[in-house]
Amino acid sequence: MPTETAAPTVSYLEAIADALRSEMDADPDVFLIGEDVGQFGGAFKVTKGFLDRFGPGRVVDTPIAESGFTGLACGAALMGLRPVVEFQFADFISCAFDQIINNCSRHYYRTGNPIPVTFRAPFGARLRAGPTHSQSIEAYFAHVPGLKIVAPATPQDAAGLLISAIRDNNPVLYLESKYLYRRIQAPAPLSLDPVPIGSAKVVREGTRVSLLTYSVGVHQGLEAAEKLAEEGISVEVVDLRTLVPLDVATIAASVNKTSRAVVLHEDARRFGYGAEIAATVQDECFWRLDGPVVRIAGKNTPIPTSPALEDAAVPQLPEIISTLRRVATT
Amino acid sequence: MANPRTTANTRARKPKPPPVDRDLAVRMFEVMALTRAVEDRMVTMYKQGELLGSLYTGHWHEAIAVGTAAALRPTDVLAPLHRDLGVHLWRGMEPWQVMASFMGRATSPTGGRDGTLHYGRLDLNIINPVSHIPNNYPVATGAAFALRYRGTDGVAMAYCGDGSTGRGDFHEALNIAAVQRLPCVFIVENNQYSYSTPLTLTTASADFASKAVAYGIPGEKVDGIDVFAVHDAAVNAIARARAGDGPSLIEAVTMRMHGHAEHDPADYVPRELIDLWAKRDPVEETGARLVELGFLDSGGVTAVRAQARKTALEHRNKVLGMPMPEPDHEEDRVYAN
Repeated sequence: MPTETAAPTVSYLEAIADALRSEMDADPDVFLIGEDVGQFGGAFKVTKGFLDRFGPGRVVDTPIAESGFTGLACGAALMGLRPVVEFQFADFISCAFDQIINNCSRHYYRTGNPIPVTFRAPFGARLRAGPTHSQSIEAYFAHVPGLKIVAPATPQDAAGLLISAIRDNNPVLYLESKYLYRRIQAPAPLSLDPVPIGSAKVVREGTRVSLLTYSVGVHQGLEAAEKLAEEGISVEVVDLRTLVPLDVATIAASVNKTSRAVVLHEDARRFGYGAEIAATVQDECFWRLDGPVVRIAGKNTPIPTSPALEDAAVPQLPEIISTLRRVATT
Repeated sequence: MANPRTTANTRARKPKPPPVDRDLAVRMFEVMALTRAVEDRMVTMYKQGELLGSLYTGHWHEAIAVGTAAALRPTDVLAPLHRDLGVHLWRGMEPWQVMASFMGRATSPTGGRDGTLHYGRLDLNIINPVSHIPNNYPVATGAAFALRYRGTDGVAMAYCGDGSTGRGDFHEALNIAAVQRLPCVFIVENNQYSYSTPLTLTTASADFASKAVAYGIPGEKVDGIDVFAVHDAAVNAIARARAGDGPSLIEAVTMRMHGHAEHDPADYVPRELIDLWAKRDPVEETGARLVELGFLDSGGVTAVRAQARKTALEHRNKVLGMPMPEPDHEEDRVYAN
């Protein structure tokens, strides 16, 4: 028996499960569908216990058929239900690309009939999972009108943004970081209040340079800012939280204060989401900038498996620190 | 090996006596006649330059669209194909709304945001199709899922053509619907051509009804010209779905008598195949059956056809004066509140 009990915490993964369970408790129209989500509790165990709690009518195990169950979810949403679709890995969402783009995301524009569906997609690298289990998918989908995209970095935002996504009357792509699932904890209990979609957050105030990032990048950015503070370099870290629609006002307020901007994401650099942020900063803050907007991003390669290769493919702390230092001091 | 182009079996099975009463039989004939008249009118409108882009018609698909739709309740959900104008007219879509869609008018069901045959209306429980057929096969499984989820005995019906059975959504929808025992009926309108591609290049097993075996569900092939045969098959499949016994597949055999769309002369189709099927006009055959059954006399049949043509022309005249959308609304309605 431990003599001391550690303060209770909630992991990023538990936060997702708590939010999902809470919404399913509150709204009988919410149901879950995907591969292995029921009797197995999900490949990452996000939905462990859900089948017992909600039954097979609301926790639906499917064949391997991403396009099929995505279309099913869209049809059910059109009839007024609020499906939560789990893609086992974000990588598999490409199999449902057609349904999401051609049917789901533009249906409201075409018809005025909303499709309130949430697509949960565990994404990102750093788990040695290789080229088809490690991808970042936000750039593909950020181009699609009618779709919203959120990418929480903390347990609190993971819960609050999932609740907002489920309650939203549009299709929402919810990018959950499988790297953060068990690595990030927050003090329990979490609030189960919704976090508004479209709202970025300054997670560390600073004066010399703004780091604009999301998901894993937020934690790297906070660590880099801590190190640079020891050198007297004050870094402001902005967690975008929502990629579509982008909170331009919060970004502009930060960069207009610091006059320098660095964008950080794990996805490949070329045509990555950071290019849109950089362009937005130049639209909004050009005359206040003391230098060009700099991007830190993954290499324009598939994500390799072997640790040394993967570490070389995605942004690491030393590069982030040196880039922020260079931008802040030149 | 026999050439399926020339040995096409135009009568897949012997016609049964009509399983419907006089009122329903006449009503089905009226909607089939209206479907034909509206599409013939729109062909003229297309040739006169009154439509945007191309015109997709469903000549020789009228019995399939009307026979299936007539077997459902208004609360059941339909996901029709671009050959299925009869589905929309059966449910109460006004012909001018269809014309407005082909003309990009503000009064079209999509307000001019979409066009052509994309005019489904959810208030009529019709899911608006997209061009990526059979995308609405999986979507219809979702409608069926929702109907059951809500505790109703409602049914969803999805349509695709012979060509789109080649896509994965066909397989995925049938497989999911079967394993979940969803109240769904899948119609394959086998009109022998996928744009220019004949069945011989579409599938090595052109007996589409038999594909149901692979999913563990019933499959039935019907004569797609015979509205009573189509209706009968639909009634059986719908009853099965409503009873909780799961989905069915119906293959309705017909011929695409026009091009893929009106820009397409379809000179890749052998003339003899068109000539063979020209003898089997479903609207003509249904009219003749009604006379044979004593439901209408020949004057009554002629009157229905004439009224349909008159209605189609009236709707064309009405739609010509309707406004185009205002450009400053282009960005409205991307996101729902």
